[in-house]
Amino acid sequence: MIAVLDPVQVAARPEPNPTEELQKTVSASRLNCWLQCRLKFFFRYVLQLPRPPSAAMFVGSIAHQVLQQWNHGRWRKEPFQTEKFKAWFDSQWTEEQKTSKIKWDDDQADERASAWKTLEHYFLETPIKADERPEAVEVPVEADLSHHGLPRLIGILDLVRAGGTIVDFKVTGKTPDPEQAIHQHEIQLSCYGVLYRDATSRKEAGLELHHLVRTKTPKLIVTRIGPITQQQETRLFKVMESYVDGVGRQDFVPSPSFGCAGCEYFTECRRWS
Amino acid sequence: MIVLETNYSKKLGLPGYSSHQFSITLKTEIADLAQVQTESNRLYQLLQQSVDASIKEVGFLPTEVPIQNRNGNGNGNGHHNGNDTWECSDKQKALILKIVEEHKLDKKEIEALAQDRFGKGVKALNKLEASQIIEILLQEHSDNNKGNGRRFGSRYQKAGAK
Repeated sequence: MIAVLDPVQVAARPEPNPTEELQKTVSASRLNCWLQCRLKFFFRYVLQLPRPPSAAMFVGSIAHQVLQQWNHGRWRKEPFQTEKFKAWFDSQWTEEQKTSKIKWDDDQADERASAWKTLEHYFLETPIKADERPEAVEVPVEADLSHHGLPRLIGILDLVRAGGTIVDFKVTGKTPDPEQAIHQHEIQLSCYGVLYRDATSRKEAGLELHHLVRTKTPKLIVTRIGPITQQQETRLFKVMESYVDGVGRQDFVPSPSFGCAGCEYFTECRRWS
Repeated sequence: MIVLETNYSKKLGLPGYSSHQFSITLKTEIADLAQVQTESNRLYQLLQQSVDASIKEVGFLPTEVPIQNRNGNGNGNGHHNGNDTWECSDKQKALILKIVEEHKLDKKEIEALAQDRFGKGVKALNKLEASQIIEILLQEHSDNNKGNGRRFGSRYQKAGAK
């Protein structure tokens, strides 16, 4: 089924991504978007309708940049200095505001203070020692899965700790339930396991989700998972197979759910037929 | 004389993301068109039963493939660690050399960087390590990527990026 938009809306947009291209390369983000709502996938990846980042995405991006600086600093054996990261945080926050039109739900100053407080808390509570040198930081990787009859898998690993533990940082407003978190992020974690193994010829030591929780009193929830299992890899490959089939069929139908309330394509979705 | 050609094929998934399939093709002759439906139904039953009987035999099943052997397909260099071979992919090797050439970088410095970060020379870097070195080089030497790296621009610009 082909989703149809008002022609006026589509005008002046970038050239849509051909579905053949989208079938050749996948990432955890694409797979998750596909599983969440195929019409959302259509708007985001096929039509590439531009949307400004949400406030939460903006905060997450800045926090990731600070964490990247911190990880690289340990690699370069630099002493830890909170002031340096605070200065980086402040400059990036200001700089990126110039190019991003963020619609702040709450007071921006409060958001900014809360974001920094959460990072400060992370630096105090992190299980990563100050002298632990990483194996990789914010590194893009890809795996050719053609021998499985599957597309190329791409992804970016936030951090690989010494010894091969893959860490993904999450900045969130709600305290996660560990079991639910593992389930919700299974696709992403499985992708990371497959990518790491392909890139290093080694099995990962494990995976960790570091949730930086932006509650009034910030929290850090670390969820540890063992190396991905054969079953998880098979589940991922089946999802990829289903994705390729669905994109090939142009099966772009909506999936109305509670999640639609925050969807950036809600208006377009309501017009779709 | 009318020739009826029938085929029945079945593919089954097996553990470890394996699969096997079997098909039988059969040609038969029928006297007139009125027999097509009956003969077709009979052949379908016959072929399905035959395929089902055979496909139950799973035969050889690969055990878990050692991770070392999964890699390398389509990525060029495999895992020979001689003096002139690179452990990373051809694409990565070409990109590293291109950056070095375009920015007139000292190869000794790149070698020192690889030694510092990974305790090995550039040619011995695996794909993950080579990707990291490329990121660092791009960040430090590309005019368009000063600051916080080429990835963060796309972190929240999701359309088409990741």
